[in-house]
Amino acid sequence: MRYELVCGIETHIELATNTKIFCNCTTAFGGDPNTHCCPVCTGQPGSLPILNKKVVEYAVRAGLAVHCKINNISHMDRKNYVYPDLPKAYQISQYDEPLCEHGYIELESGKRIGITRIHIEEDAGKLVHENGYTYVDYNRGGVPLIEIVSEPDISSPEEAKEYAEKLQLIMRYVGISDCKMQEGSMRCDVNVSLREVGTKEFGTRTETKNINSLNFIQKAMYAEVERQTDILEAGGSIIQQTMRYDDVSDMISPMREKENSDDYRYFPDPDIIRFQIAQEKVDEIKSSLPELPFDKLTRYVNELELPETTARQMFKYRRVAEFFEGALAEGASVKNASNLITGTIYSNMNTEEDKELFSVLISAKQFGELVKLLDEKTVNFKMAQSTLQQMLESGKSAGDLIKKEDLAGISDDDLTKWCQEAIDANPKAVADIMAGKDKAINVMFGHIMKQSKGKADTKKAESIIRELLS
Amino acid sequence: MAVTKTEIEKLAKLGRLRFSEEELEKFAGEFDDIIAFADTINESVEGGTDEIRSVGSQLVSFEELREDEVILSLPNEKIVSNVEDVNGFFSVKRSKK
Repeated sequence: MRYELVCGIETHIELATNTKIFCNCTTAFGGDPNTHCCPVCTGQPGSLPILNKKVVEYAVRAGLAVHCKINNISHMDRKNYVYPDLPKAYQISQYDEPLCEHGYIELESGKRIGITRIHIEEDAGKLVHENGYTYVDYNRGGVPLIEIVSEPDISSPEEAKEYAEKLQLIMRYVGISDCKMQEGSMRCDVNVSLREVGTKEFGTRTETKNINSLNFIQKAMYAEVERQTDILEAGGSIIQQTMRYDDVSDMISPMREKENSDDYRYFPDPDIIRFQIAQEKVDEIKSSLPELPFDKLTRYVNELELPETTARQMFKYRRVAEFFEGALAEGASVKNASNLITGTIYSNMNTEEDKELFSVLISAKQFGELVKLLDEKTVNFKMAQSTLQQMLESGKSAGDLIKKEDLAGISDDDLTKWCQEAIDANPKAVADIMAGKDKAINVMFGHIMKQSKGKADTKKAESIIRELLS
Repeated sequence: MAVTKTEIEKLAKLGRLRFSEEELEKFAGEFDDIIAFADTINESVEGGTDEIRSVGSQLVSFEELREDEVILSLPNEKIVSNVEDVNGFFSVKRSKK
């Protein structure tokens, strides 16, 4: 029998607010246990949760960035379950009136993965199980989350990974979270079911929780599809349950039987008043969104005429893109600016994280000034590279580093003289050039570079040589 | 609608509580009384409980929500003052999902 995969992903993203969702405690990561806590986030009787404005604003930003409709009126519900990570025995979440609905993310293939909803909720505390006891730290309890629920539109592990990757990129761009999967500020729950090819009805699904890397999404799905296929082929049936993926053994195993949404006994939280966000405010947030990453990529390729590979090396990192565009605003050329970024600057950055952070000592303006010197052929590419490297190390401007004699050292007369000398000394190369072997000109450059101590512009030299030979 | 013993069992399981057969029988009846009592709210609200979304059907505007400004949290000693604690953690008998 042949099966097809049906998959939907729930993504939790921690919002980069200063305070928790319902109290003024800090959201700072870490800290000694239970030191970022107050009566509200430890669920003391009589305490009153008050919704953080920034949480609503960030969730609306997230929703608009993935084409969601924003519900102008929304409310919080209680999701009841008993577990020590929730001091109140319920989580304040949203059930039937989420803030955002009906969005999508478009994959490279053009296929759209629907986004059912985005709602806001509080994170739970952290548990440490040891020696028959569970130790609870509520520092993370009450940290604001958005949960982004996709439609079951995903039909392969590759699509799942691409969806999560795009989501991460977009959410970073709009500045609501750093979305670091390895640190838990973005976590994916992957729902997987199989059905016979040609049938419409969904099979029973399992949910693999808290996957903390993009690659593991793909691996966990392969493992789960294999497990479910084996069960179905043997005539068994899938149990609706929560799974855990272990990346070390690449094994997937059941964690617990999944509770149904009925079991959570959702009801509106009577402590928190329904809230309203005016359409004008939504429009204002929309107009404050930056250009979104994939629009930027398209513009880099179509309007700036960057090669796609170069555009892809830069658009992913918002700070790099800003730096690049800042240099263009100074009048720098697209080609030289992008080549120096992806060449010299990136050679100083080893990891994705380095590029994401893009902490450089120089400003886009300083960089733009250097690129312009190159554009105007005041310096050659090699010199621009070495100057840039010094700028990156010292934070100094090109003007402070390039000495007057470096710039003024080569007159046209000198260059023409060295070109003539090179021609006289290399009759064979001259013959080759005349015969159309363009590469032979490199022989000439050796002499010219030696005379100019590496400062000559080879393009300029080439045109002089051709003129002398014509 | 009468609350059955099976439903009480299910609720007890969700609440991680254990009861004897006797208690389950007793609670089934008591739950009916509690629900009947809660239903009297319907009589005092025009349109029934469907009309009640949250407190007084009020709305708060985005602008009136809380500003995102940190206020110092309570010291750990205060937070764990009424619980069994180990090194600043709340300590509970092992529970595993």
